[in-house]
Formats: sequence, structure tokens, C-alpha cells
Amino acid sequence: MAFSPMALPKVLWRTHYRPFSVSTVVAAIQKLTRVRVVDNSSLGNTPYHRAPRVIHVYTKNGFGKVGDTVLLAIKGQKKKALIVGHKMPGPRMSPRFDSNNVVLIEENGNPTGTRIKAPIPTQLRKLEGDYSKLLAIAQRFV
Amino acid sequence: MAACTQRTGLLLRNLQFQNERMFSVFSVRLQAVGSRDEPPKFTPPAKPTIVDKSRPEEAVRRFVSPEFIPPRQRTNPLKFFLERKDMIQRRKVLNIPEFYVGSVLSVTMSDPHATNNNRRFVGICIQRSGKGLGGTFILRNIIDGQGVEICYELYNPQIKRIEVLKLEKRLDDNLMYLRDALPEYSTFSFDMKPIHLPLTQDVPINEQKVRMKPRPWSKRWERPKFNIQGIRFDLCLTPEQMEHAQKWAEPWRQYDMLKEYDTSLLEEKIFKEVQVELGK
Amino acid sequence: MAVWSCRLLRLGDVLINTAAVTVPRTRAQTSPEGVSVVIGCVRSLKTSTWWDEHLTADNMEFLKREVTENFKDLTEARLNPLKDEAWPRHVWDEQSRRVGLVAVKLGMMPVWTKSGDRHVVTMLQVQDCHVIKHIPKDEYNGTSAALIVGAKNVSPFHRSSEYLEQFHNAGVPPKQKLTTFSVTENAVIKPGTPLYAAHFRPGQYVDLTAKTIGKGFQGVMKRWGFKGQPATHGQTKTHRRPGALGPGGDPAKVFKGKKMPGKMGNIYDTSFGLKVWRVNTKHNILYVNGSVPGHRNCLVKVRDTILPRHVLKNRNPPFPTFFTDDEELPEDLYADDLFQFGEPTLE
Repeated sequence: MAFSPMALPKVLWRTHYRPFSVSTVVAAIQKLTRVRVVDNSSLGNTPYHRAPRVIHVYTKNGFGKVGDTVLLAIKGQKKKALIVGHKMPGPRMSPRFDSNNVVLIEENGNPTGTRIKAPIPTQLRKLEGDYSKLLAIAQRFV
Repeated sequence: MAACTQRTGLLLRNLQFQNERMFSVFSVRLQAVGSRDEPPKFTPPAKPTIVDKSRPEEAVRRFVSPEFIPPRQRTNPLKFFLERKDMIQRRKVLNIPEFYVGSVLSVTMSDPHATNNNRRFVGICIQRSGKGLGGTFILRNIIDGQGVEICYELYNPQIKRIEVLKLEKRLDDNLMYLRDALPEYSTFSFDMKPIHLPLTQDVPINEQKVRMKPRPWSKRWERPKFNIQGIRFDLCLTPEQMEHAQKWAEPWRQYDMLKEYDTSLLEEKIFKEVQVELGK
Repeated sequence: MAVWSCRLLRLGDVLINTAAVTVPRTRAQTSPEGVSVVIGCVRSLKTSTWWDEHLTADNMEFLKREVTENFKDLTEARLNPLKDEAWPRHVWDEQSRRVGLVAVKLGMMPVWTKSGDRHVVTMLQVQDCHVIKHIPKDEYNGTSAALIVGAKNVSPFHRSSEYLEQFHNAGVPPKQKLTTFSVTENAVIKPGTPLYAAHFRPGQYVDLTAKTIGKGFQGVMKRWGFKGQPATHGQTKTHRRPGALGPGGDPAKVFKGKKMPGKMGNIYDTSFGLKVWRVNTKHNILYVNGSVPGHRNCLVKVRDTILPRHVLKNRNPPFPTFFTDDEELPEDLYADDLFQFGEPTLE
């Protein structure tokens, strides 16, 4: 997720700061990727000085795509999450998002929050069996 | 590709000019005829309705989809001919309308994972690429505050319907900079009603210039190689920065004769071929 | 050497005396004119002449035109080889090995299956492909017969008479490329028979051999995929080098086959087991799954795959090859699961 000074009051971001990108460049999700939590869980939405980071990707090659599980370091604790969208373009005809989105999940695959705020790709429905509860709280599919 | 679209634009504009000229000639002649018959009597000048009738026949926009133009390479032209045949076959089933980078489209595709097997997406076309059957275009929209882009393959058999909601061009041939622009410039409602543009009218060019998010951007759009017209650089960059960007200018490129690729003749030929085949 | 001496002789009369030894006696008697005679003598040492040395421009033009037309007629006259004393045809069995084709690589394009999956295919055109020669079993290697197949008509000028003779015997125009296919004895075809893309059918699997794109002299990172060394951390002139060549004192040698820098590409390579998705019988195009070795417009050798896992899909092909008299084919043949662009949109 890009550090977005737009979110701050105008006066604040007009002050001098050195422009640097804190977002991962267009790439799939790997260790130390900063991600955006798109559900309404309190853990993912209370402000904290350190952005949530991926500390492990549960795939064989270490790169996570839509539908893969990752381990997050969020607010000083470890939490599992499901990738529901990333900046790197996937196969044709599938959506590409402007940020790396994850949804927090419990150990058993149930979602921590009760609502997903961002649109999620329909290809996640392939995982219907494992994450049916997560898909049920999604607001919008693209 | 950029050059070729510009050229089609020019062609179209020329056509229109000719038409206007014809119109003026017509009206003058009519007046002259009236004056010769009965000089003292006032005859009201005939309304130029005749010209309006003839207009649709002559000034229908000509458009060749850019993926029809083969790239410049040493490939047997038969290869592109065979590909064109398949493209026309597909176009007989699916109506692929005329659209440009900057037009707002809605695409419906079949998707076994979506409700009712249908997935509809609305967005602004920010890029067209690929040649032949591999032609693609990218639609961009912002949904619930989340920027989403989908790259569609024009000839994918899963596409059910392509609808142009707003036919227009922008100042640039590639709108990738909308990723770094304020979200309002790429937000479009899914309930947008299509705006009909008569076939005879020129495609309007939307001269909108966008305001950008603060830097860093995904690319340094101020650099001369992008040649971006549609960004308000005066709001985000100082004159010194703009001047500094000129350091990467490559003014000698325009003299590179190896890179010249005049497709106007080719376009004409392909346009005729496609028209004949589609009419069958 | 002859040219060299000639140049020396031209230098001046002084040298003529010393060089006179090389001049044959008959000429030496009439040699007071000097240089011109000596040069004539050196020229006579040449054994061959340019083919168009004694032709006027008009004649050359005529010859070229005539030859092209002649070849066209030849190709057309050969279209129905079954009519003139055809060789006996046999039935296909499990052990049969058919002849293959030589095709020109056109380029690549995408195709979609009926389930919506996207594949890329390489388009190969079969251009003037003819059987040139049959080598019987005992003359070839004692175990199988062989057929020499050529493709892509070329100009007969600037080619040796030995090369042209093979085509003369077969009664077809000269070809750019000749390849040998070892076939079983029941699959031999009469020389001069044209081969078509319909020799292969959609759904079957083929092997393709061609010369890969030459990359020139390359280092180990590009040629063999070595890792190289880091860009920084105190490296001095060591970023893309091979590193150690092997153990030291005990073998005290570099093992044979050690991967090293060298010429890359421009060697024959085969990709095995590629599916034929579609065949165009009018333009003789094969649509073969995936990528194929070689550059655009290169000549590719195509034959039935030898992979055991695909052998079942290659049963009962047109045997020994496809003859136009045998069956009337539609313009395009498609594999069963391939989406045809005229079909309605997938649901």
C-alpha cells in the first residue's frame, strides 16, 4: 500500500518531506510485503505505527497470488490472512488491484471480521469449500 | 500505433472539411440559380437540407481496429491474412464496436464463478495493445474506493458483449497515468447510460487534464519519452523540475528512418477487405 | 595462387622473364606480347565458368521466366501421383512409421478451447513439399527404408549439377531443404509425390526438429543458466564468470562436458509431443501447440511423435500419406475441443 499523504490534512503533507515510495513495486506478495487489510476486523483497522507485513507465504515458491494464505505481522502479533487481490497483473480477463489486499482469517479459515469492504475477484470462488464463510461476507465481486 | 490513430483522426477531419466546403458550394450555387431566374424578386435561400441528407453516406466515420494492422516485421503476410480471417469470423458473432483509449466501455463476459454466469465491468479504456487475435484492452474503474483494472482479450470466446457507453478520445494514446491521478478521474458508475454518438459525427476529443496524486508516481510521467499532454504538471512540479526532465529528451529519434512505419495504405486495404468480408 | 602469380606478372616486364617458367611451351613461343598472353594462360587454369557468363541479359531473363513456368507446370503435373503407375499401398499397423513433412514456420497466434482455456499455437506452412528419393532398406541401414523429402522451391541457378540431378530424377523442381525420414517398408512413397498438411490430423501429436536461433558466443550465465556472482560486496571483475571448473589435485583435470562459454544456438533441436490443434487444407497450414525451435520463416521437420504416451492418439493416420484423390476435406480441420471462431460465445 502506498503511503498516501492525500489522506492527511493538506497543511501536513505540504510540509517538507522526502518523497519515497513505501509500496512494493508491481509484484506478487512475498515476505516483508506491506499489505492492506480490507475487512472490518478491529485488529486490521486500528491505527498502528507499523504497517502490516507478510512474514511468511504458504506456497512452495514463496510468492503469493490471489487465494494463497500468508502470515502477517500486525500490531506486534502474528495473524494468518488470505490474499484477495494484488498489484501484479494476473492472467488476462482477471482483475488487477491498485493495492495488495488481504483478509484476516483464523487458524480454521474463518474470517476475523464480519464484512469485506473492497471488491474481491470472482476466481476466489474456486476455494468455496475452504473459505465459504469468508466468501459469504464479501460485499462485491468483480 | 499512436501515429496511426493520429493519422486516422486527420483523415476524418479532412473528410469533414471537404464536406463543409461542399456544403458552402451548394448553397452558393442555389442562390445564384434563384437570382438568374427572377432578378428583382426575393427568393428565400433554400435550406441546405439536401446536403444533410447526403451527409450520412459520405461522412460515415472510417475506423480500422488497431489490432488489424500487422506489426512491422519480416513475417509472411499470409500469416496475418489467416489471422484476419479468424478475427472476422469472430466479429460476425460478437459485435466489437469502434472505441478508443479514453472511451468508457462496459464488458460482459461469461464467468462460471459469477452469479448468473455473467460478469459485467464498466471502466475507461486506458490502453489498447496486441496485434491480430492477441489484441487486448485494459479497463480501469474505482469501485468502493479500490482501483480495479481488467485486461480483456478482444477475441476471447468468453466475451459476450462489448458496449461503448461514451465514445471519446483523450489527449494521449495511453492513459496509464490515471493510476497516479486523483481517483475522481477514473471513477465511473456501473449504471451509466450509453451516450449515442451519430455515425457521421467526428469522435470528440476530451481535452480534460488530470490532477495527480503527490509524487512518487509509478513512472516519471514528466519525462519526454511519454509525451503526456493530459496532466496538469503545473500543479505538481516546479518549472525547474520540468526543465530537469528535459535532460532525458531524445530529439534525434524523430530522424530515425528505420522506425518509420506508414500504415495508411495498409489500413485502406485492410479496411476494404474487412468491410467486404463482414458484409458477406 | 594463380591469382597471386597473375598479379605479380602484371607488375612489369622485368618479372616476366622469371615467371615464364609457369607459361606452357605452346604459349611461350608466341609470347613477345607479354602480359596479356600470360594472363590468358592463368585464366585457362580455371575449370568452371559462371552459368550466365555467355548469356545476354535478354536470354537470362527468358531463361529465368521459362524455368519458373516450367517448374510450376511440373508441380501441377505431379498433383495426382496415383494415376501414373502408383506404388502398391499397404494398410497401417502398429509398427508402421510414416514419412514426415518439411514446413515453413510462419509465426504464432492464440487459440481457445471450448472450455475457455487459452493456448498459443505455431503456424507452419507446408510449401511445395515433395518426396525426392526412396532408399531401400538394404541400401540405407539394413533395418528400415528411408525417404528423402524436400520443400520450398528454389532457383536452380547457382546450384551444383549433382544437387540438381536428384530433383531431375524425381521430376520435381529443386528444393531449398532436403531431409531424410526413416520409414517402415510398408510406408514408402513413390518419389515425386506431393505431401500436404493434411498428412497430419488435428488431435494427433508431432515432433518438430529445426535449427535454433543462433546467439553467437555467449557466457555461462546465458548459455547454461549459471548463477554468476553478486554485483557488489567487494567483487572485483567477477560478476558473470563461471567460477571453479571442478576439483583440484585429485582428478587433476577438467572433466569432459564441463559447461563453459561458447557458441550458443544454431544447432538442431527437437521439441517432442506437440499437439496439432488445427489444419488448414487450402493454404496447407499446421497449427501446432506451443513454441517450435527456429526463427520465423525457417524450415522445420515435422513427423509423428515417438513419445509412447501419445502413440495411442496417432492411430490410423492417412497412410502412407494423404492423397487428394482419396477424400474431399473441408478447408479447416479442428481438434474436437478447439473453439472455432465462427461458433457462438461460450457460456
